[in-house]
Amino acid sequence: MTPVFFELKNSVVGVAGLGGLGSNVAIALARLGLGRLIVADFDVVDTSNLNRQQYYVDQVGMPKVEALVANLRRINPNIEIAGHQVRLTPENVPEIFAGADVIAECFDRSEQKQMLVETVLLRMSAPIVSVSGLAGYGRSNDIVTRRLSSRHVLVGDGVTAARPGVPLTAPRVGVAAHHQANAILEIMLDNGRKRVNRSWQ
Amino acid sequence: MTQVLRINGVEREFPGEALPETLSDLLNALEICHATVVAEIDGRIVERKDFVATRLTAGQAIELVRFVGGG
Repeated sequence: MTPVFFELKNSVVGVAGLGGLGSNVAIALARLGLGRLIVADFDVVDTSNLNRQQYYVDQVGMPKVEALVANLRRINPNIEIAGHQVRLTPENVPEIFAGADVIAECFDRSEQKQMLVETVLLRMSAPIVSVSGLAGYGRSNDIVTRRLSSRHVLVGDGVTAARPGVPLTAPRVGVAAHHQANAILEIMLDNGRKRVNRSWQ
Repeated sequence: MTQVLRINGVEREFPGEALPETLSDLLNALEICHATVVAEIDGRIVERKDFVATRLTAGQAIELVRFVGGG
């Protein structure tokens, strides 16, 4: 087993929200060979989701957790997945994502994003990768990954909110989701290097 | 006397008595919606519910992370 594969196999990632960001992030992590995923969303698949989220027409009406777990298992049957069909709150976040090495903030609404980042930074010790500003089209290179602190990485252009006339599109949401997955991969591999260094001391 | 706050790494001057009294007042002056910002003062997270009660003093370093909708 290569060290990278070993590290990923032993990593746990929490994905909060399974829309355009979360469904894409989870699939990227499953393809990487992650050990364990904790996924949470309260919603069901709607036809309006299919323009950017990783679900299929025959899954419309299914809980997103159930639909995504099925899709992830078709990609990588060896991944351990804990699915929670629940609305995340400051009260249940620490419990649901206990044991996660990294948490991905994949919500749609800005108030929910704020709630999760505040809760994780205050009540947990895992780092969080959040996203702000991914609506519209073009301007791929305006979407950046910034390390704000040792525990918070922020992806996005920082300004482009989804609103009438500025829709969420598969390509630009995908750019942001893969920035996010790539930042998570980097954190997991950095954790691995730290463990190796400790064992040498 | 001019007082200074460092906001997201940039020094901002407040002449005379104009230093915002609380974190909430600062956000209002910057036209930032309370519900969409994670705030840190001198490296410590301030919970959103405490924005109104959190008094500011000159020289503090304030980090404001704003979230816009979409995901």
